Amino acid sequence: MTSPSPFAERVLAIVVRDPEGRDAVIGDLREEHTKLSARVGAARARRWHTQQSLRIACRYGTHRLLRRGTPPRRWLAIAAQEPGGSWTAGLSRDALYAWRAVAQRPALSGVIVLTLALALAANATTFSLMDAIVLRPYRFDGVNRLIAVASSVPGAPFYDRETVTRADFRDWQRDAKSVEQLAAFEWWQPNLSGIDNPEQVPGFKVTAEFFDLLGVSPRLGRTFLAEESEPGRHQRVVLGHELWTRRFAADPAIVGRTVRLDGEPYEVVGVAPEGFNIPLGAQAWAPISYDAAAWDDRRDTSLTVIGRLADGGSIDNARAEMSTIGERQRTAYPETNATRDVTVTTFALGMNDPGAGPMIGTWQAATGLLLLIACANIANLLLARGGERAQEFAVRLALGASRARLFWQTILEGLTLAALAVAASVPLAWVGLGLSRRSIPESVIRFVPGWQYIQIDFRLLAITALLATVAMLLFSIVPALQATGTEVGDQLRQSGRSLTPGRRRNRTRFVLAVAQVSLTLAVLFGSGLMLSAADTAANGATGFDKHNVLIAQVDLPERSYQDAEGRRRFITRVLESMRAIPAVTESAFTSHIPYGNANTDREFRPEGEDVREGEVRRAAYRRNSADYFAAMRIPLVRGRLFNDGDRADSTPVAMVSHSLAQQQWPGEDPIGRRFKIAATGEWITVVGVVGDVVHSWFLRPVDRTVYRPLSQEVPFRAVFTFRTVGDPMALAGDVRRAVAAADPDLPIAQLLSMERLMENNLAGLSFIASSLGIVALIAFTLAVMGIYSLMAYLTSQRTQEIGVRMALGASWWQVVRLTTAQALKITVAGLILGAALSFALGRLMQSVLFGIVSTNLLQLAALVIGLAAAALVAAYLPARRAARLDPTIALREY
Amino acid sequence: MAPIYLGEFEYAVLLATLHFDQEAYAVPIRELIEERTGRPVARGALYTALDRLEAKGCLRSRMGESTEERGGKARRYFTVSAAGLKAIKATHGALASMARGLETILERS
Repeated sequence: MTSPSPFAERVLAIVVRDPEGRDAVIGDLREEHTKLSARVGAARARRWHTQQSLRIACRYGTHRLLRRGTPPRRWLAIAAQEPGGSWTAGLSRDALYAWRAVAQRPALSGVIVLTLALALAANATTFSLMDAIVLRPYRFDGVNRLIAVASSVPGAPFYDRETVTRADFRDWQRDAKSVEQLAAFEWWQPNLSGIDNPEQVPGFKVTAEFFDLLGVSPRLGRTFLAEESEPGRHQRVVLGHELWTRRFAADPAIVGRTVRLDGEPYEVVGVAPEGFNIPLGAQAWAPISYDAAAWDDRRDTSLTVIGRLADGGSIDNARAEMSTIGERQRTAYPETNATRDVTVTTFALGMNDPGAGPMIGTWQAATGLLLLIACANIANLLLARGGERAQEFAVRLALGASRARLFWQTILEGLTLAALAVAASVPLAWVGLGLSRRSIPESVIRFVPGWQYIQIDFRLLAITALLATVAMLLFSIVPALQATGTEVGDQLRQSGRSLTPGRRRNRTRFVLAVAQVSLTLAVLFGSGLMLSAADTAANGATGFDKHNVLIAQVDLPERSYQDAEGRRRFITRVLESMRAIPAVTESAFTSHIPYGNANTDREFRPEGEDVREGEVRRAAYRRNSADYFAAMRIPLVRGRLFNDGDRADSTPVAMVSHSLAQQQWPGEDPIGRRFKIAATGEWITVVGVVGDVVHSWFLRPVDRTVYRPLSQEVPFRAVFTFRTVGDPMALAGDVRRAVAAADPDLPIAQLLSMERLMENNLAGLSFIASSLGIVALIAFTLAVMGIYSLMAYLTSQRTQEIGVRMALGASWWQVVRLTTAQALKITVAGLILGAALSFALGRLMQSVLFGIVSTNLLQLAALVIGLAAAALVAAYLPARRAARLDPTIALREY
Repeated sequence: MAPIYLGEFEYAVLLATLHFDQEAYAVPIRELIEERTGRPVARGALYTALDRLEAKGCLRSRMGESTEERGGKARRYFTVSAAGLKAIKATHGALASMARGLETILERS
């Protein structure tokens, strides 16, 4: 005997819950299967068995799901018998009616639920990201009392955190009364050596108040003492929990031991608690130490400042007080502080990436629009359905139902749909978040605080439910009002014959459809802008050739490489050993690579130009080897490249970017011109002009860059760039060996291809852009669906009229024109409105996203045409169906 | 207590169950209905109807013996309860009274 499919039986067993019923059903099928296989053969019998099992499972499953005690039909009978009853009985009866009304039209309800669920899921996903990354990236006690303080240039687009000078910080600390504590920190990426492989550790130098201010007590040992900021006593370090477990095997006796950082011995005084990595994924903290003279400096803007508000003080108090202090500093130190202002913001905003807020905000706005589109769509569907049910409502009113009751019930139907949509949106949002989490590379996540909080939590569910309820109220109130406004007599007299629905109702639907089309156009346009911005950033002109370039970044520790000659020796050794490899065609060096995460700029004071202090313009500052331009394929525009004649003791020379040359010396020959990079500095002569390079996608400003030869100035930051034959990563091992041979203690901070570097850098942008693309796609689908369903409904309402017209001799074309005319009106009105909206949106995005997007009218025109075509096709389909109808059928059956 | 309303299919199921007396279970019930009415009966529909009738109190069920051909699963036998019988009678009476006076037409066709 063959046995039937165990899978089918398992499905049955899941659906039929009570054990006796389960045995009976499975047994019955087995019995029939045995008989059948004797007659038609094992294979067919088995197929039959599977089929039957699944069918029964479906049927039985629905039955089980719907049956909660009394079947619906009985409810009707009961309701008819007891018109009064208690309030709760009335409520549950209404809920049951609502459920029936929803279940009766599975297709319509399904479309509504799915539409709403998609929009809700999109909103839940963005909200979760917004909440985790922008609104509450830090979640610990007292974070609400924390602030960030920065110096700013008036009119700066962003809050820029690394902007405070040491003397300014000291002034603030002394004068601010509304702020209980202020702490400062600065970037420090020490090289950890002396154990296995050297490694660059993300770290910060912090003032003694830092840990106390954040309310952090160490897991082991202690944090810093005030006197440890004195030079000579500063070689103390607090290790991050992650670093401690990974590199020191969570050694409980680590406190008091010495580790080598940047080649210097540092005493471990403590270990931070698990999960603490403020700021920016730090895993090592050391005291900031400067001598008294350095603390009086008002030029070096390297500090980031955070603070804790005094008890009872608000952030507004702090803002007012800090701006008074800033005012005082402006008058006291006009030399340096003339154009400096003090900005106070919340800790979360201050610590965030300046771009993240506007970016995710744009996305959130797009999903908000999506929800509106979905609402318009649903309202239209419900209106159509309301039209169909006008008859039912009229009958019920005639039989004595109160209008309030009908209104309430319509709302309840909406609530039922909303509840279903919320349930359906949760798994969708879960998928959305999963995709979001996976689409950002690890190396970038470190710089995104709050990433670990991206999740579906109660708060998110509550907000989704709230959104759904609000949306539901929006879209079911209109049909509810219409339902209750029904004139009993009229409606009954019309007796369901298909007249075109009343003018007022038609107007509402027209407005909704127009709104949908226009919003969709705006969403499409906005996402298009972001997509093309992302595309430009990734594939647009960068001024260099990103293919086949290997990047290796090494930071030379200041103490062991204090001597410029030592640094140059190291760099030359690495370059030469790489040059010996046949697959390396160019082996070059620069201090800052485009799309890298660091930048340096200097004042730019051209000879013969007299500018006031504080108005001196700045230029990006790079130091590189002569062949860097060739390696990166950056073209030489004028003059010459660096050469062997440029020595440490010869005239200081520089090359400048094309834009810088044009701005400073328009229409003149820049070669031979001189400039200084500090008021007291030496004159530097321009010897060549090279093409512009995009250094960062985010701010694509005019490229003002000064390049200095390695022979005249050696930086501590070293980025080796190797142009290779074939896959650059194939040479990673050679680079590691070359660096280790030159200095075994030095870790390579970053080793990757130029293309990958750009990808990482663009991850956030392409993530937002593609997410927006998905939102736009959903919006587009909804809008086309909306027009289609509206047109299908309107056409079906007029089927009889069409029949009459055709019987009277109207042609196919006349019928199509008649029915699509309204769609055309909707589309044209929607597109005009949408174009205006898009234009405004483009302007807004331009101002919020600082020049990475630009309003593109051609793109707008293409979208208008595309959307119009889609809308007309959606309208044509029902029209064609109507025109194909046999007039006699149309007259008889509709 | 007012008699329970029966749907057409429920009515058929109850009648078929009566036919088999103590030996009625899903397989023969379905076969009999198909045979007598000439209409296909979905198994899922039958099981839900049996469930529903039992919930209404028209049917009682008990578990029978398990056999090899059923893969060791027991049969579920149904018998019509007193309420079920009353419902059959009520439905039958109602239908018959609806048909009264139409005998000539019904006989002819």
